[in-house]
Amino acid sequence: MAASLRHSTLFTTVCRQLNSTLWLNVGGRSIHSSAVCCKNRAARIRVGKGDRPVTYEQALHPHQIAHRKGWLSQHTSNLQGEDGAADRTVEDLFIRRLIYGTFHGCLADELVIKRRGNLLVICALMLQKLPPHKYYFLVGYTEELLSHFYKCPVKMEIQMLEEKSVYKYL
Amino acid sequence: AVISSILFSGSAEEIVIPRKKTWYGIAVLQALASTVNRDPTASHYVFQDDSYLTPRTSAEFKLYSLAQESGRTAAKYFINTYPKYFQKDFANPHIPCLMPETLELQVNEVSEAALIERIQLRKVKAAVDMYDQLLQAGTPVSLDLTNDLLDLISLYGDCDPARGDAPDKSLKPNRENNNAERIFNMMPERNRRSYGALIRGMVKHGAYSKAFNTYTDLLNNRLTGDVHIFNALISAAPEVREKYVEKWDLIVDLLKQMAEQKVKPTLLTFNAVLKALRRCGSLGRTQAFPVINEMKALGIAPSLATYDHVLGIFYKAATSAQGHTEILQDVLSEISGKSFTAQDPDDVEFFKDAMRICLATKDIEQAYRVHSLLGVGENWKLLGDSYYQSIYYGRFFNLLCMMEHIDVVLKWYKELIPSLYYPNSQGMRDLLQALDTDNRLDLIPQIWKDIKRMGHDNKTELVEEMLSLMARENQIPEVQQSFADCALDVKALYTQTDRRVPLSWSAGSLSSITSILLAAERTQQAWEMLKLFKLANRVPSESLMNQFLESVKASNNAQQAVELVQISASFCLSITPNLMERVQQEFDLTEEQRNTLSDLESSTAMSD
Repeated sequence: MAASLRHSTLFTTVCRQLNSTLWLNVGGRSIHSSAVCCKNRAARIRVGKGDRPVTYEQALHPHQIAHRKGWLSQHTSNLQGEDGAADRTVEDLFIRRLIYGTFHGCLADELVIKRRGNLLVICALMLQKLPPHKYYFLVGYTEELLSHFYKCPVKMEIQMLEEKSVYKYL
Repeated sequence: AVISSILFSGSAEEIVIPRKKTWYGIAVLQALASTVNRDPTASHYVFQDDSYLTPRTSAEFKLYSLAQESGRTAAKYFINTYPKYFQKDFANPHIPCLMPETLELQVNEVSEAALIERIQLRKVKAAVDMYDQLLQAGTPVSLDLTNDLLDLISLYGDCDPARGDAPDKSLKPNRENNNAERIFNMMPERNRRSYGALIRGMVKHGAYSKAFNTYTDLLNNRLTGDVHIFNALISAAPEVREKYVEKWDLIVDLLKQMAEQKVKPTLLTFNAVLKALRRCGSLGRTQAFPVINEMKALGIAPSLATYDHVLGIFYKAATSAQGHTEILQDVLSEISGKSFTAQDPDDVEFFKDAMRICLATKDIEQAYRVHSLLGVGENWKLLGDSYYQSIYYGRFFNLLCMMEHIDVVLKWYKELIPSLYYPNSQGMRDLLQALDTDNRLDLIPQIWKDIKRMGHDNKTELVEEMLSLMARENQIPEVQQSFADCALDVKALYTQTDRRVPLSWSAGSLSSITSILLAAERTQQAWEMLKLFKLANRVPSESLMNQFLESVKASNNAQQAVELVQISASFCLSITPNLMERVQQEFDLTEEQRNTLSDLESSTAMSD
């Protein structure tokens, strides 16, 4: 095996030295490489065994936004001539994490955050895990805390579901 | 409108869907108009608009609103304890109420600034301590600042205001205003404001005679009173005199002194006079109108508290309408269409007191006028907190059930309940009474659903009254079937053992359910009820036995007839021989059955 390899490399070097393009790759293989093009993995749940329940929001990929999906965060700073888009995005992230932790295990789906003028409206779908007075406590707490944090009125609008609404199983 | 009329007509008409519908020309306008006023299907605005989170009883209403408030308080605690995270000011213009508050004392050295800070933060004990320290250190404290301190002590009665909740109402007679008096006596010079703080504090916390003594001191020091002092003294006058005449004389004397000292009376002065007149018996009736005329002559517009005091003077609790009904009408005529603002703490008493008078005099017209006044301008704000609201609407609904036709009652029922008012079990009994009066008992199953939703299904009197109303007469077949379903639902409540304490059977409830089931020809379930009688140790009535016999005869079941007689014998009912005779005569009995019956006859004859 080693002997044949030595022979083949000897042969290719001899061929190269002959300087004939037709003889360049006869009997040998080399690596062809190009620029990397990775598969898009953003906000996608890949098809699996078929036992994983997935909501409508999770099942549809981001390129379906404005086709079959809406937006989770609605504000005007992405329009022509408006600024503050980055600030709004950071605020949104903070709010999502805060609510995810405050209402731990109760959220059925992603939050929808709407800004109307000065008012920040957080629309949430929740599961009926806690008795209603506990929900009211947490809602009062979040509204007050976020109002003082962002210096604008914050309102929460909650809808309750019995269980997570499954769109399909992936 | 079509659907609701079908629901309330009580008969199952066929719902015919027309092939083509023509709309009225103004249908769109009507639909838009229905959105303008209050939505009676929505819950209170503070709650989330979701059926799981909507309160169904008054207890839930209170629980959820208090839970939300306590969440806010918890957030405020965090905001005020860690203010450095909330300092960044995005808002332009600046919003002061969204910044963290400093509730802790910053200035700690003994100085006037520290005293000012403690007064602003309403820390009574700390302020008094700081003042004492200042005096000991020899620093003179300015008169204005000392007056501020006296105001603070007098307002809060010498103890720190409780956090959040209503302050502790118990007066401590031996401790009251000791600090205030001590500081007052130590003051090198006192002005009218100092005396004022002391007098008003004494009146607020019940030391009435001391207040008058302090006023005499004021006069002896050649100072004059101001309007606040006089208001306080007038409201304290009924407490320091016994007889009606003496009380009134004292008030007149105070008013004369007020005129001498050139102090202008205000609305609160006149309201205090009228409030004192409420406690002057018949003298109040003669003096009330002169007082009001005086008020109008001075150009002071009356507030709702004024009218409340007038009504209180003329409508005493003990006497019902004794020729004074014109007063309420006159008052309502005068204030109809006017919008009032809150000027006196007693303004909120007006609506519930007016409704109480309407209820006592059974005057539905005036009640409608009072209710329409509530819709004028800002008057809804003067209805008071949820407790006062529940009293007002409770009385209003009670009057409606008594006086109005059932259709009107049901219209108001849909309007008021449950968006404005959660009736208690007495209110539901009034509604059942109204249904009975107008012969609309077919609506009882729907009312039962509402009773269950409101959590009144554990009130035995209400349930038993409902059952007896259903069982009283026979109804047309569809209604009878709906009654039977309702009765079975109620029976389930009595027998369920999960979660909560079930209701306990009484002879009345058992008989009612059984006779409803019999009338609806659900004989199997009716027989099961008979067994329950034994289990619950109750005795069925004779009419029930007769009703059973009738139904057994209709089905011509001889075996059941014999069983019926056996059951009757086991309860030792006096009707047993009668039943036995009837069974022997009216049924074809087999030999065995005849033997059983004759055995029974002999055994009952022996036991007699």
